[in-house]
Amino acid sequence: MIELKNLTKQFGDFTAVRDLNLKIETGEFFGLLGPNGAGKTTTISMLSTVLLPSSGEILINGKPLTRRNSVEKQKLSVVTQEYSMRMDMNMDQVMEYQGRLYYMPLKAIREKTEELLSFTGLTKHRKRTVRKLSGGMKRRLMVCRALLTEPEILLLDEPTAGMDPIARRQMWNLLRQLNEKDLTIILTTHYIDEAQSLCDRVAFIDGGELNTIDTPQNLIDRLGIYAIDETSDKTLKSKYFHDRAEAIDYLSKADSNAAMRNTTLEDVFIETVGKHL
Amino acid sequence: MGIVTVLWEKWVEFKRDFLKITFAALITPLMYLIVFGIGIKTTSHGQPYMNYLIPGLVSMVTMTGSFGAIAQNMSVQRLYEKALDQVMVSPTPLWQFILGQIIGGSIRGMYAAAVILVMTWPFRTGLIFNGWSFFILFLNGTVFSTIALVLSFLAKSYSDAPRYTSFIIMPMSFLCNTFFSTEEMPMGFRQVISLLPLSQTSDMVRTISAGGSPNSTGFIILFVYLIVFSAISVFFIYKKKNL
Repeated sequence: MIELKNLTKQFGDFTAVRDLNLKIETGEFFGLLGPNGAGKTTTISMLSTVLLPSSGEILINGKPLTRRNSVEKQKLSVVTQEYSMRMDMNMDQVMEYQGRLYYMPLKAIREKTEELLSFTGLTKHRKRTVRKLSGGMKRRLMVCRALLTEPEILLLDEPTAGMDPIARRQMWNLLRQLNEKDLTIILTTHYIDEAQSLCDRVAFIDGGELNTIDTPQNLIDRLGIYAIDETSDKTLKSKYFHDRAEAIDYLSKADSNAAMRNTTLEDVFIETVGKHL
Repeated sequence: MGIVTVLWEKWVEFKRDFLKITFAALITPLMYLIVFGIGIKTTSHGQPYMNYLIPGLVSMVTMTGSFGAIAQNMSVQRLYEKALDQVMVSPTPLWQFILGQIIGGSIRGMYAAAVILVMTWPFRTGLIFNGWSFFILFLNGTVFSTIALVLSFLAKSYSDAPRYTSFIIMPMSFLCNTFFSTEEMPMGFRQVISLLPLSQTSDMVRTISAGGSPNSTGFIILFVYLIVFSAISVFFIYKKKNL
């Protein structure tokens, strides 16, 4: 279990994360959602020890996660938002460097690299330096690198940013498969549909503070599972209903620019976090 | 184990950029040798100036080679590529990463020194370079690798690395016993300059090259620099909140 206790991060006068408390169960697929600057990446950076908290602590199975704690760090792998790789290394070298940093035997590094590059369709580009790869290829390589060490906890900071829709779907399938093998995944994303599709639970953070936390379905249920979009004066307004008959009744009285659909997590996100933006 | 990983990473870099690294190590000292050693034929301390210059140049390139290898590389890894994040997350103990950088940087400095020694071999100067000389040169490389680490952790942008070279390395190259003795400097200034690591290295390597024995003060000064800057590097990598 991962536990964030009163986690706070300040940069001078600015508080990026304020008093964040979270418990993430082993094997859970957890989404951390929020608008730009909400503190998602800062939280991931603290979970990966790149940033140290100003106060509070992170516990993994009850043990504090620090830069010195190699045992707990061995369980972690991260896919950062930026391409955090040596640009002058080729794919094989990137993978070997990662494997060596995690004390993997060379034979295991080579076998697993072969498997992962093949799975993500990168094998034929393996001798290209990172600098010469497309954005999507770099993302896939970062995922390969993170999976090389068979982590127990995978931190994903916008892993599908810059990917085309097909590659995104492939990534979703891969992440589902990994999660089924009891891998704990913490995901931040701007694609709310991604979080709805993948996550067991999501937390909305805003202004560095925890706003809401629940399963995507509970959050949708709470808002109302039916949505009616009305367009007037070039602005879109949505109304939400718990009861289908009530929604249909409203729709029948609305003007012709109204349509009914199922409520999504994105609706919940906009209603919860977006209202005051 | 972590040290071997860093040395492997440095080896990958060295193999890839072998020619660039070799020519970069060669070109500046070569110019100094041509201009001061061959073009302007002078004597110093009753010997050809070349005999005075070579130990100074060899010391100087261990400084520039080690400092350059670490300062540039670490600044880019930390601020531009963000590749340092990969190391921070990994279970490799960070002190081993630091130690690997120090040794790797020093080896690069030693390589630059070896290039100069090979290049000046045909001059048949009769200068002595023994195990002590190489130990001192290695020590000098470790000192400047740790200084480079500290500065790259303090850097705000990756363009800071060339600035450090201009403000720190360039003045030391000229003032610290490379081309002329610090004894010829004005009082006060001389004492400060002679406490700098390159002054001590050049002095000790030059003494050995002339058949003498280096004094222990030089070793003490180099070790003090090494311990202080290593401690600061380790402190930064474990405790700096926003690395």
